[in-house]
Amino acid sequence: MLHRAAVALGAAALIAATAACGGGGTGSGTAVEIGIELPMTGGEAPNGVPTANGVLLALDKVAHAGFDITVAQKDDAVNGKHDPQTGAANIDALANDSKVLFVVGPYNSNVAQAEIPHSNAAGLMQCSPANTNPGLTKTWGGVDPTTLRPTNPTKIAYVRVATTDDLQGAAGADIAYNIVGARMAYVADDSETYGKGIADVFASTFTALGGTVVKREGIPGTTTDFTSYITALKGMTGLDYVYYGGVTTSGLGTFRNQMASQGLANIPLGGGDGIVDGSAATASSFLNVAGADGDVNTYGTVAGPHDISSDASPSQTTFAADYKAKFSTDPGSYSAAAYACTQAFIQALLAAPAADKSDLAKLREDVRAYVADPSHSYVTALGKFNFDAAGDTSQKIVSYYKFDSGEWKFVQQRDFSANPMP
Amino acid sequence: MTASTTTVQRLNVPWRTVAGLTAALVFAYLVLLNASGSFASEQFINALTTGALYALIALGYTMVYGIIELINFAHGEVFMCGSFVSWAMITKVLLLNGTVRDPLLLVGALVVVFLAAMLIMGTVGVIIERFAYRPLRNAPRLAPLITAIGVSFILQNIIFVSISNSIVTVPKLIPFDDLNFGLFSIKEINLFVIVVAVLLMVALQLFTTRTRIGTAMRSTALDREAAQLMGVDINRTIAITFFIGAALAGAAGVVQTQYLGDTVFNIGFQAGLFAFTAAVLGGIGNTTGAAVGGFVIGFLQVISAAYGFGRWSEAIIFTTLILVLIFRPTGILGQQLAERA
Repeated sequence: MLHRAAVALGAAALIAATAACGGGGTGSGTAVEIGIELPMTGGEAPNGVPTANGVLLALDKVAHAGFDITVAQKDDAVNGKHDPQTGAANIDALANDSKVLFVVGPYNSNVAQAEIPHSNAAGLMQCSPANTNPGLTKTWGGVDPTTLRPTNPTKIAYVRVATTDDLQGAAGADIAYNIVGARMAYVADDSETYGKGIADVFASTFTALGGTVVKREGIPGTTTDFTSYITALKGMTGLDYVYYGGVTTSGLGTFRNQMASQGLANIPLGGGDGIVDGSAATASSFLNVAGADGDVNTYGTVAGPHDISSDASPSQTTFAADYKAKFSTDPGSYSAAAYACTQAFIQALLAAPAADKSDLAKLREDVRAYVADPSHSYVTALGKFNFDAAGDTSQKIVSYYKFDSGEWKFVQQRDFSANPMP
Repeated sequence: MTASTTTVQRLNVPWRTVAGLTAALVFAYLVLLNASGSFASEQFINALTTGALYALIALGYTMVYGIIELINFAHGEVFMCGSFVSWAMITKVLLLNGTVRDPLLLVGALVVVFLAAMLIMGTVGVIIERFAYRPLRNAPRLAPLITAIGVSFILQNIIFVSISNSIVTVPKLIPFDDLNFGLFSIKEINLFVIVVAVLLMVALQLFTTRTRIGTAMRSTALDREAAQLMGVDINRTIAITFFIGAALAGAAGVVQTQYLGDTVFNIGFQAGLFAFTAAVLGGIGNTTGAAVGGFVIGFLQVISAAYGFGRWSEAIIFTTLILVLIFRPTGILGQQLAERA
């Protein structure tokens, strides 16, 4: 079984590396490329690899007659950690390849921050399956997102199918206040774009719900010894929740592990999608690093639906079965999201005027304009949605997870458009 | 300074230094008491533990600088490799996967892990010196410095490619249970880290001051050519210095995995930077100074976290470094090199 999985993974890598032709019943047609710009190596592999697989699966399953779509794969991880500068250079490289019409990625918000000016300048549409920082598309913290698009402020070249941290942070507060029943929270972040954003929203929503934020602080992302921060928690009377905005590679697993060693595992810890990165058996995942004592009482969220709506295409069961058949493993948190991005690309590609098929530059602009147009909607693996004028998905669903016997177990999901927070 | 005191370490007890350090510790405790109240003693112990770790690494920087005036930038990576030796010994050789409650087994396991980490990293240190630094001993100073940076990349990449490119968890063998001493309580792990660090530092002092090899090291540091004329085998003495410095970093690597529970291929840079700062802060070339500098950094980190300025801890540490260097350019305890003149 393991061996087969290894072979399947190897084959997937081979497909990506050699950019072998996609399926969908086409063998000939206009040769175009879809870029994949994700962190693929190191501690980021559990994030990037299943997401990239979503794209590969979509190219296999979604018909795209008349086009021969191959993959241009880029990795923005440097020494095992996502790197904004590398991401921006990757976008430039993809933009300079005239065959690349669309990019799926990036995974991390700070990478997107560096990439958006480049994709905007090149007019190359990118669709992120996983970026959740609100500031990438809307005014956030007093900063206008058009500052990210200095070349063409009115031309959208970045959309995303993940919902934003203002909702993920709010969902975290919903878990803490309504599900766990906590009233006194300590809120920390790893001093990165994503971590600080999500923790800020948690703090304001938790306060609005009626809870108290005992302390709000930032901890350098390079910290390995959290003991003194944890000792400080002991002095906070009545503390019943810890929310930490950050990711496993910036030390969240280590923090939880040390909390357990200091005897504080009974205090629940919540985080965002940065910690929902695989089971306890996955090396270097949050649950793996936090250790058996630290895993208990941990909660996480994912910025997308877990139970896909009934109008999804393919249906959730078909998607999971197809994924497992191709890669011999279950889909990752953002596999379906990457599949949906690819579906949007193919829909836009097929809608392009036939006359433009011979002109790749025109085709690239056709795809960009189609996806940027809020009137187009897509029926995808995540259900039906459209991108609004800023590039955000109309889906506002966050899934809640809780640690249970070695895994992140789905608790419930909340549709914030139908059921907003107070 | 008179000729009789121009040694790396004096034998007579420097009472002024001891009084100064005691006053500094009391002051640090009061600062922590103000922020943490009843948890001040726990934070104090946290600071001592972190400081002990930095001090162990800082000793290697300062010893190498003292003897060949090279800032061995690869030293932080030696520490990182030591933590991976600890990981390999615990999970691959001893096959332990959690806290060891049997005292005999625990002591046995720790002795094996420490010996392995110290011997392996000590040997690596000697190899680095032999092949990367010795050929450049008479080259302009910039050359070995760049080589050191190169060596640090090599070590990092060896671990990155061959072991893991992400966080690796290491079972914590030593219990985190509280030991009660009436006035204060201390976790077994903290006591262990502090005791190990202090023992190693005392052993190093005795070694450099009481043994023939230690005397050879000090004389080489003082004047390499004169020492050679007096019959000291310079190559051997420098190799031994590297061995000891790297072995201490290896021990620090074990402490890291036991206290913090995991390691990753890139921890060496940050730890090395802090330890180097500790060495400069204490007075580079001065082994007591390196230890003092390590504890100062440990306290600065914990105090900034206790006061809620954790995000600023690095800024606070480097500001302190700048202030110390402005008002006391040779560091807190003074640079032993100054005595060369």
